[in-house]
Amino acid sequence: MAEPSRNRSLSAVTAGRVTPRRVAAAAVTVALAVGATACGPEDATAGGGAGAAPAKGGTLTVLNSQPQTNFDPARLYTSGGGKVPTLVFRTLTTRNRENGAAGAKAVPDLATDTGRPSENATVWTYTLKDGLKFEDGSPITSADIKYGIERSFAAELSGGAPYLRDWLVGGESYQGPYKDRSKDGLKSIETPDAKTIVFRLKKPEGEFPLLATQTQFAPVPKAKDTGTKYEEHPVSSGPYKVVKNTGDGEHLVLERNPHWSGKTDSERHAYPDTIDVKSGLDSAVINQRLATGAGPDAAAVTTDTNLGPAELARIGGDKELGKRVGTGHFGYTNYLAFNPKVKPFDNPKVRQAVAYAVNRQSVVNAAGGSALAEPATTFLPNGTSFGHTPYDPFPAGRTGNPAKARELLKEAGYENGLSITLTHSTAKNFETSPEIATAVQEALKKAGITVKLQGLEENDYKEKVHSVDDEPGLFIGGWGADWPSGGPFLAPIFDGRQIVRDASNFNHAQLDDPAVNHEIDEINQLTDLTAAAGRWGALDKKVGEQALSVPLFHPVYKRLYGKDIKNVVISDWDGVLDISQVSVK
Amino acid sequence: MTPRQRGAVWRRLRQQSAAVASAAILLALVLLALAAPLLAALAGQDPTTYHDDLIDSARGGVPLGPYGGISGDHWLGVEPGTGRDMFARLLYGARISLLIALGATAVQVVIGLAVGLAAGLGHRLADQVLSRFTEVLAALPMLVIAISLTAIVPADFPRPLLLVLVIGLLGWFGTSRIVRARTLAMKKLDHVAAARLGGSGPLRVARRELLPALAAPVITYAAVLVPGNIVVEASLSFLGIGVKPPTASWGQMLSTATVWFRADPMYVLLPAGCLLLTVLAFTVLGDAVRTALDPRERSRLRVGTHSARTGRSADAAREKEAAV
Repeated sequence: MAEPSRNRSLSAVTAGRVTPRRVAAAAVTVALAVGATACGPEDATAGGGAGAAPAKGGTLTVLNSQPQTNFDPARLYTSGGGKVPTLVFRTLTTRNRENGAAGAKAVPDLATDTGRPSENATVWTYTLKDGLKFEDGSPITSADIKYGIERSFAAELSGGAPYLRDWLVGGESYQGPYKDRSKDGLKSIETPDAKTIVFRLKKPEGEFPLLATQTQFAPVPKAKDTGTKYEEHPVSSGPYKVVKNTGDGEHLVLERNPHWSGKTDSERHAYPDTIDVKSGLDSAVINQRLATGAGPDAAAVTTDTNLGPAELARIGGDKELGKRVGTGHFGYTNYLAFNPKVKPFDNPKVRQAVAYAVNRQSVVNAAGGSALAEPATTFLPNGTSFGHTPYDPFPAGRTGNPAKARELLKEAGYENGLSITLTHSTAKNFETSPEIATAVQEALKKAGITVKLQGLEENDYKEKVHSVDDEPGLFIGGWGADWPSGGPFLAPIFDGRQIVRDASNFNHAQLDDPAVNHEIDEINQLTDLTAAAGRWGALDKKVGEQALSVPLFHPVYKRLYGKDIKNVVISDWDGVLDISQVSVK
Repeated sequence: MTPRQRGAVWRRLRQQSAAVASAAILLALVLLALAAPLLAALAGQDPTTYHDDLIDSARGGVPLGPYGGISGDHWLGVEPGTGRDMFARLLYGARISLLIALGATAVQVVIGLAVGLAAGLGHRLADQVLSRFTEVLAALPMLVIAISLTAIVPADFPRPLLLVLVIGLLGWFGTSRIVRARTLAMKKLDHVAAARLGGSGPLRVARRELLPALAAPVITYAAVLVPGNIVVEASLSFLGIGVKPPTASWGQMLSTATVWFRADPMYVLLPAGCLLLTVLAFTVLGDAVRTALDPRERSRLRVGTHSARTGRSADAAREKEAAV
């Protein structure tokens, strides 16, 4: 669910293959981000749900807008920590299923620990727990995990994040097990015995345990692999197995996997007996059904539909409904992005003037108000795991400082005002949409900057803003991390070696600063993620002072859940109610 | 039409109170739209200024106060999410909506007349080509083409003009068919035949003999086209390809307002009410004009013509002509 936007050192062919998938996933993100709120301590109380202790049994209904297409561990972009895949696919490590910031870290799942680094974090070793079984009762071995990862390299099973290809030795040339039938497969994954698996990486990667939460790390029994058909009935390693999958993931029914045991899985509770996932619904319908809670809808949740501003305005007056709103934070930042190669944004004073002139109160209101968006002055999201370090290099208060902006423009030689173009998308997403652009336009008017709006259709917009050659001078962008850390947040945007010429580029400023690049390499070596977080924060501040982007806001997710739902857990990893924790009895 | 006939039409129109009311409403709307900057200034407002202090940010940006935040400063309340003045936005929105609707109707009528007359008076081959061309164009899904057209035109092109052209160029088929059918029928009339025998060229025949007689059906049809065009403008703006922000149009306002119908009903009711009133007024007026230009009036003039001889009612003949 991260803004699945990374296309780094992939070959042109691979990038072409992955991109449409990303676009689709990004659309999901966009749908998700429609809602959003200031959360905080009340989350913990929301976690209580209806009060009584959670118990086993019953059917949990999931009402979603996006169908669960490609239900194959190789093809899922991120593991969907709180979402449906986590019920079927166990991985080496997984997200900590706790409320708030405590949930933004990796914990062991199939493995006994989160991984043992050696050779300066270029080698990671995992040992599997005892008694792990697939849904058919056969044991899960390290070879099954290796095979699952190898499958994700096959061209026909594309869709996953590019990290494995980028990080594993030989990953860039490996073609997957269908084409490459050599006995050893991908040599940088070793399985010395049935319980041990060793990964060899090209360079130090202290965040490997966070990568190991992704569904590509789920075991797949080679004998049961049916290639592209595997998604119809993937072999479960988790508490539920697929009993029905129709309409390409539109209707999915999961029932208990008798061979799963809570003794080897301390993260998933698996209270309900059956999970009924119905997708393809309109977001207004989902929210209306959750609010009404008739019949099975009383025991329903959604994992992809937020409350919009108008729905929130209505619920604001309803105490009963208000209690049934879960608040979540996902590390995400919406910002104004400059392309300093385009005049007048080559002039730092012009960029600073824009930063001073922006009225974040108007922008937050346009994004749905203070309940759905928090004003941002840092590029890093406001969570501790990201290394968020509060700073504001251009302090102008909530409503902006047009006088200071005029002063800077005068210094830059634009005392008679300035006319610029702001590119945005026409998608109704409250992120990069016309509402936000108009709020920026209105604020900049007060500083003597005339903003012309260039609204592009969503796909056209994505193509333009992620192209090194066609990138506009100023656009509204958004970025979410693949896991809650500063690395996947800052590196794709500010690492000079991640400027992508022939595919999607996210380094909008095309910043290639040796000092920044070096610091990113240094932090990636750290296996102490707390120490790393502090340094990501410091790096964010250092880059932020260059005014290459103007952070606008961090979205907040508000989601309704049914009357009978208990044990609501929403972590800061993805801000989504964790479906593996929910009870309906 | 002779002055006496014109007088009769006026008299019949004036006798219909619904028509008079509709005309008054439309006149008032046009005046309000023209005076938008003046009236907004009178209220001390403009359509783009944000009022962050007038909305409840914690509740999705719903206007503070009852009925969408109506107050002495903001006569019709403010817009949720921005706090922009609704009165000013509705007035400015009327300018865009009426301008586009009337402009597009003018384009449709002009093209329709030209193509219809050319097909009706021209060579048989020209008639065949133009008629088939019209049929093919009419069969295309208009909204889809409008969407793609508005997407490929450069962003610098003025939006209202673009909408006028797109709606106009995609909606003249009805007019041209009516004009062609009328022309074909009238070609057989004695006075037209006499003019042609007297050596008048097609252009002269069209101008002197046909246009005056075509005025009635075309005006009637145009009055029906206007409300349709207002709705198309609203649909395009609703789909996000109409006017560009921060410009207001009724369609644009409706498109953002629909989700607010429960939290802030005023936000939906105001543009929807304006749209409804305008479309209704145009429809009623169009109908009244049609009745005033009563076909029977003309049928008396056509004593001895083809349709009268066969004993069909003029209405039935007209229907047949329209279907040709």
